Amino acid sequence: MNKLRTYPRSQFWKLYYACLVVSLILDLFWLYTHVFHYHFSFQYLPQFFALFGLFGCMLLILIAKGMGIFIVVDEDYYQKKSRGLN
Amino acid sequence: MISWIHPGLVICLGGFLIPFIPWPKVKKAYFLLLPVAGLTILVLTSMGTFGTIPPWPAALHKWNVPFLQYTLDIARINKLSILFAYIYVIAAFCMNIYALGVKNDWEHVAAMIYVGSALGAVFAGDLFTLFFCLEIMSWAPFFLLLFRGTKKAMGAAFRYILWHHFSGICILAGILIHLNLSGSIEFAHMPWGWGGKYLGSNLMLLGFIINAATTPFHSWLSDTYSEATPSGSVYMTAFTTKTAIFCLIVTFSGVPLLMWLGAIQSVFALFMAVLENDGRRLCSYHIISQIGYMVAGVGMGTEMGINGAASHALCHIVYNALLYMGAGCALVVVGTAKFNRLGGLYKYMPIAFWLYMVGGFSISGFPLFNGFISKAMTIEAAEFIQRPIIYLLLEGATVGTFLHTGLKLPWNIWLQGREEPPPDIRSKLNDSALNTPVHMLIGMGILAFLCIFMGVYPKILYDMLPYPVEYVPFTVTRVFSITQMFVFTFLGFWFLRKLVRGYPTYVLDTDWLVRMPGGLFIKFCKVPLIAFGSYLDKQIMKVAETFIVSIRSPNIEARLTPMAIGFGVLVSLLLLSVFLFLKI
Repeated sequence: MNKLRTYPRSQFWKLYYACLVVSLILDLFWLYTHVFHYHFSFQYLPQFFALFGLFGCMLLILIAKGMGIFIVVDEDYYQKKSRGLN
Repeated sequence: MISWIHPGLVICLGGFLIPFIPWPKVKKAYFLLLPVAGLTILVLTSMGTFGTIPPWPAALHKWNVPFLQYTLDIARINKLSILFAYIYVIAAFCMNIYALGVKNDWEHVAAMIYVGSALGAVFAGDLFTLFFCLEIMSWAPFFLLLFRGTKKAMGAAFRYILWHHFSGICILAGILIHLNLSGSIEFAHMPWGWGGKYLGSNLMLLGFIINAATTPFHSWLSDTYSEATPSGSVYMTAFTTKTAIFCLIVTFSGVPLLMWLGAIQSVFALFMAVLENDGRRLCSYHIISQIGYMVAGVGMGTEMGINGAASHALCHIVYNALLYMGAGCALVVVGTAKFNRLGGLYKYMPIAFWLYMVGGFSISGFPLFNGFISKAMTIEAAEFIQRPIIYLLLEGATVGTFLHTGLKLPWNIWLQGREEPPPDIRSKLNDSALNTPVHMLIGMGILAFLCIFMGVYPKILYDMLPYPVEYVPFTVTRVFSITQMFVFTFLGFWFLRKLVRGYPTYVLDTDWLVRMPGGLFIKFCKVPLIAFGSYLDKQIMKVAETFIVSIRSPNIEARLTPMAIGFGVLVSLLLLSVFLFLKI
């Protein structure tokens, strides 16, 4: 229990690649065998959720980094401001 | 025969006894016993010991107390209030275990008052009782912040109380206007619209959405929760915002404005979270984002939307406390939760990591974790009412949630591709995989179990929801689409992982718009106003000196007598004219 171990890195990557490939194949298979029941037409695009996850995540990071130019300041920003008041 | 025992009162008053128990072990046992007592009362209530609870929205009314010309409905027990009460006491029990190591007894007292008043609010049947409980609720976290003892925490405590007094005043003004118009103090669904006729409702709505940390009033949450004591912040995650959601469900379900505000809130907070360097502040942004789902669900107003909001509020209390506990572990063990100073902790805190990951998977909405069964319901409610934009915003927020809580936070605290933490952090750790205090792991373990149990067996939650649930969460479509989305979210994260590393920075939020003018006002008071004051002081002193000099002069009497008579006549004439003017 107390033995020091590092995290299971190699097992993780094997599992991850397997999930990646299987999800791509299953999406096409189930899409064309009409297993899915979505509410909007755009959800029926092939690999819609894969693209949504990938680009959604990347866009989120990139837009936020862009916002960061204006809103990221020093760690003691408010402390400095309040020191200026004393 | 006792008609009912209020669990809130038991916990609240019972909490005051904690500092007076001299035996440490008994004190700890008593501290754990308080939520258990509350839970026992709730179980007895559900079993019908005090009367049968009718189907929603009808309620069982206990404890009617006369107040002025009104009757206060202190205990209104219905399906929704009992559901919230259950999760409050269960969460309080786990939080109490987590907080067992806290030395300051008064911190326990503040926490128990907080829990008790939250229970008081969910059982309130009238607006006065609700307001009273909300006011007590706003003071308890103030002390949880103060007990941290740092200057930053003290500032956060005062900002917290200012925000909540503002929301409290809005709610009180709304209640009084509503009372004046309708003559009713019942805590029930309110009419809503634009214009003077709905001023009371809109003020109450404003108060509730501030309490629920809805954008753009969300910044008090990220500002203050991360400054409380490690265990204090865990309590704070659960009660204030969820009680606000409870209030919104009761009073403003079906208000379309809420649907849009909630959807925007769920995404907006995630942009801020990308830039965040502090683990607890990041979790705070996720509270805000998750509340967005609930607010949107309330705004949709359909049975599925309301069920989704209620069930998500409950699941959220469980997994979010777990997330805060995970980030709090790092703070307790190595003294910081800042990403730029951490990484590589896995080797020394693996159990805390895996328990945290259960919370991370739950909040993201992975199948078989509790976030899935509640979040999917709200998202599907948006699909059912054919709102593609709301759907895309909520689904996008799911991606962002997994990115931060499932990937960014654990990566930055426990991993960062390192096998060892930085040397200054390593020196604070023992050569053991059990650096985290055991009581903290037990608290986290119970919550992690609940996350999985509710995720695997959703019926237990669905049976308690206000409306009957026909929703089936585990469909191939839903399970597959969300799993595939997360698999590819990881890919996006891995490509850009260097961009989400922590830097020693601070992210300005919407509170800048309040804090900067506030600071300028204080600056104005301190410099020009004080200068003007001293200038005025000097001038008055000059006049007084002149007066004294003239009094001391020998022939003053001859000069002052006609002046005094003249002045007296002038004042009399002025008073007479004012009197006549008013009379006419």
